[in-house]
Amino acid sequence: MYFGWTFVVALLGSAVFAGFFGALLGVGGGIFIVPIMVLLFHLHMKIAVAASIVSVIATSNAGGSSYVDQRISNLRLAMFLEIATTLGALSGSVLALYLRQWIMLLLFALMLAYMAWAAFTTRNLDDRRIADGDFSRVRPDRLSRFLDLRGTYHDLAAQKDVEYVTNGTPIGAGISYLAGMASGLLGVGGGVIKVSAMNRYMNVPMKVAVGTSKLMIGVTAAVSSILFFLAGWIHFYVVAPVAVGTTAGATLGTMVMNRLHSALLKWIFTALMIYLAYSMFTRALAMHYHLHLPVLD
Amino acid sequence: MASDTPLRSPQKPVSGGPAHGSAHDPMQAEQNVYANVYHALIIGMLVSTALFIWGLIQALRHSTFIPLTHKWIRQQYNWHLFWQGLRHAQPTPILLLATLILVLTPVMRVVSSIYAFWVDKDYKYTVVTSIVFGVIVLTVILSRLGLH
Repeated sequence: MYFGWTFVVALLGSAVFAGFFGALLGVGGGIFIVPIMVLLFHLHMKIAVAASIVSVIATSNAGGSSYVDQRISNLRLAMFLEIATTLGALSGSVLALYLRQWIMLLLFALMLAYMAWAAFTTRNLDDRRIADGDFSRVRPDRLSRFLDLRGTYHDLAAQKDVEYVTNGTPIGAGISYLAGMASGLLGVGGGVIKVSAMNRYMNVPMKVAVGTSKLMIGVTAAVSSILFFLAGWIHFYVVAPVAVGTTAGATLGTMVMNRLHSALLKWIFTALMIYLAYSMFTRALAMHYHLHLPVLD
Repeated sequence: MASDTPLRSPQKPVSGGPAHGSAHDPMQAEQNVYANVYHALIIGMLVSTALFIWGLIQALRHSTFIPLTHKWIRQQYNWHLFWQGLRHAQPTPILLLATLILVLTPVMRVVSSIYAFWVDKDYKYTVVTSIVFGVIVLTVILSRLGLH
């Protein structure tokens, strides 16, 4: 492939787009940039996944320090769950090395479809639980007690200090392992899975879960990146525009996020996710079975 | 820079809870260690971005045919070519270096966190964080054993 201005500008622009809207939706840029690289730039799925996971490190470094500044993230919880996410990332990326391209496309399509579905079925019940003081009322399990996994943060919206005690550490760690695996296999941050696991099964308030998940993403992505790097799937000429673009896009997106929060935006991007899921699905079928479903271009 | 803040646990101790290392008032010297590591990581991140941009500009100045294949990438893993290319400001080694710095930034965070927990006398979490580092080492070992 000829490496010229058009390639760089187009890939950089796509990466800014992916990073920006990923940040607006709070899902990260990976779920948009991987399909763009595969469908639009016709890159090998493994090169796309490897480039995306490196750019995940870049965006995780750049955005979201406000959570730590406001003392919302739980460093201990992050460290504990990182054991699970890094092991998951290792298994996921080893799997990625051996899986056929079309199966990876199919799995990516499935993940996109799930995300689109989850965007509308996930309810944030935190406001009521904070008001009731539910988060401090559960009994910690043995591991949670041993590792002292609890904390307090100041919730600006509720205007009070929210105390919480975690439980369900085995299931939380199990789901975090799967999140790490999705991250290593498909080149995404996997934040959405970890956040819902912490919030739903570990009794962690949503804001703490989001901040803690952000802490974990860099290290998790580093594990898969090291594997892809040593296996020779990280193409430097692809990584450069993707990493710079998604970081710039995510930084911009985080800045305007609070001003732009309409339901319309959510609808538009859920539609985009369904479209990308369908396109990845048809590409996978065309690749393996030479079956050409109608493509919506 | 959230993921690279090797600060002690941001949680305030819950009243009545067991006291652990980070509940103590930190010494100024320790705080400085964390602040230094934090700044080093920001610098690492900025350096990799700058190198990416420089590498891209160098590449665009003399556009060439770059195969977008697995095989081409493997051919670039040659220390001799890497150092020689870097001396002549060739784009490929610059971009390779930028990628390496970016990938190693979170690893530095883990190492500095192990140190931070150790200084804090929080041995449980020194072990937890060391396990995370162990997974990173395992990844390198597995890769060297010949995963392709």
